[in-house]
Amino acid sequence: MTLAARLRLNSLAGRLIAAAAVWTLFALVAGGLILSNAFRTSVQDDFDSELRSELDQLVAAAGHDPNGEILLDRQYLSVKYQPVYSGKYWEITSIGKAEKPLISRSLLDHSLVFADKEYLADRFVAGHGDGPDGQHLRILGRRIDFSIDATAKTDDSRGYMFYVAADMGDLTARIDSFNGTLFWSFAVLGLGLVAAVFLQVRIGLQPLRRVTLALHRIRDGSARRLDGRFPSEIEPLASELNSLIEHSAEVVGRARSYVSNLAHFLKTPLTVLASEAAAQPGPLADQVNRQVETMRRQVDHYLARARAAGALDVLGNRAAVAQALEDLARTLRRIHRDRPVAIDIVCPPNLAFRGERQDLEEMAGNLMDNACKWAASRVRVTARPGGAQFTLVVEDDGPGLTPDERAQVGERGERLDESVPGSGLGLAIVRDIAKLYGGALDLDASDLGGLATILTLPAIA
Amino acid sequence: MRLLLVEDDKDLQRLLKKALTDSGYVVDSATDGEEGHFLGDTEPYDAVILDLGLPKMDGVRVLEKWRRDGKTMPVLILTARDRWSDKVAGFDAGADDYLAKPFVTEELLARVRALLRRAAGLAHSEIEIGPLRIDTRASRVTVNGNPVKLTSLEYRLLSYLAHHKGKVVSRTELVEHLYDQDFDRDSNTIEVFVGRLRKKLDTDLIQTVRGLGYCLDEKQSDSK
Repeated sequence: MTLAARLRLNSLAGRLIAAAAVWTLFALVAGGLILSNAFRTSVQDDFDSELRSELDQLVAAAGHDPNGEILLDRQYLSVKYQPVYSGKYWEITSIGKAEKPLISRSLLDHSLVFADKEYLADRFVAGHGDGPDGQHLRILGRRIDFSIDATAKTDDSRGYMFYVAADMGDLTARIDSFNGTLFWSFAVLGLGLVAAVFLQVRIGLQPLRRVTLALHRIRDGSARRLDGRFPSEIEPLASELNSLIEHSAEVVGRARSYVSNLAHFLKTPLTVLASEAAAQPGPLADQVNRQVETMRRQVDHYLARARAAGALDVLGNRAAVAQALEDLARTLRRIHRDRPVAIDIVCPPNLAFRGERQDLEEMAGNLMDNACKWAASRVRVTARPGGAQFTLVVEDDGPGLTPDERAQVGERGERLDESVPGSGLGLAIVRDIAKLYGGALDLDASDLGGLATILTLPAIA
Repeated sequence: MRLLLVEDDKDLQRLLKKALTDSGYVVDSATDGEEGHFLGDTEPYDAVILDLGLPKMDGVRVLEKWRRDGKTMPVLILTARDRWSDKVAGFDAGADDYLAKPFVTEELLARVRALLRRAAGLAHSEIEIGPLRIDTRASRVTVNGNPVKLTSLEYRLLSYLAHHKGKVVSRTELVEHLYDQDFDRDSNTIEVFVGRLRKKLDTDLIQTVRGLGYCLDEKQSDSK
């Protein structure tokens, strides 16, 4: 099975659901990424602006003496800078002069070192670094220049870098928590959406399933057209199909009536010819008789095949076997009423032949008529179902045929005995029609003592 | 015996009518279903030969209507339609026999004889009543083994009585079944023919039942 088939992409439902799933996945992933990013940015911005105001506080708390030395009023600074490794730090470093930097108590023995740094407007600098205790810090810095009043130079100044840093651990935890919630809720949403699509597709494609069921019924012969109302997309298909079925049946019907007319208009003149020839015996009459007989046989042969050939193309042919056998038996009892022949029929009531009723009657009728002609007192007809095919066995208790004779009759359809008219040709016609339906006719000896003819034909299971 | 032949093909109709008349039957004919139905409905026939492919009304419909109206005369169907489904339909409509075209006339005559025999309850083509023997196939009559020469009408009369052996047949019935519709019907001539027939047969087989008609039977008893 190809991958496409395995994924059931051969089906509309499969395609629709797969497409929906892919789009849903794509949309949810994209949406999730966007949301996650937005949240992270927002939280980071909040963090940064808080840090910014703390930097401002630090700068505000720092004064300077006339020599430019920092005078820090620590009581203006937050208590958070007190606990060791609290996660909040500040550091003031001198630019130019090699002096020990001033640091918050929380920083203890560390210093703020940038792992990455970017320079911002207004002499700000921002970045990240590693802090004590494995903390990851966000560091914000600013250069402040103090002018020195002690000297005479008016533009003499000392530069300092003011840094504040905060542990991002909390921030990271909040982002992770949000991402987690986002992931799971989007996953559930995604599954829900795909499930909804699945249901919609199944319900939406229901009309197609109805069409399939209706077609099955037509094939089985239990319906002759697509019935029911269909949505506007399928309606044209359904009505076209119905037109096609009707047209097909019409064509077959017309062909059959042409064939019947041919039979009628050909056979009457043949009768006249034969009768006139009988009235004036002689060599011409003999020739006429021979030719009439040949014509009659050919006409019968090809008419029978023409009638049956149409049957295969018509959708939904079905014939009840039991009914056909009963009708034939009733007729045969009247035809052979001068002879004491009993006809027994064994047939399951629901057995159906996949084909034209007329063809079934033609085949069974010929076989049963033959049996009645040859039987001493009994004819037995047995129909046995067998899945896609069924067998019809017609047996008589007459003289039967030897294996050689059976082969001869079966093969070439010749009449073996002229005294009982019409045996051989009838079998040939039966065999031809059976073959057209993909079936067969076989001959065998019957345990009743005579001949058994075994017909195999397609059934409607 | 009086027969009705319903056949639309003129040539075939002519041919069959001649053959039937030559065999000693009286034949009325029709060329379409409506005419055929009307005749069968209104006139008494001993048997009908009915073609199925008729104009104006299909043969099967004609037959169905007859049977529905209680007409019980035997009907032989002639047709080019010899599929089994057509035979089933024909017999279900009420046919007694079925002959497919093309056929030889001899076959038709034999079937008609069989129909008439069956209708009379006779099993064989030879009718035996006491010393009288009638070979219906050859239209020959013998009494005690001696052949008797009869005219066509005398034979028809004897045959009719023989087919209704033991039953009383009225003069009117004889007139209706021995003459075709164009003949001038006169029941007195029947009496003359019966007299002539009795003389030729030289037996007491034909009895007169006063006021009712004639009866052909092997029992020799006084008529009253």
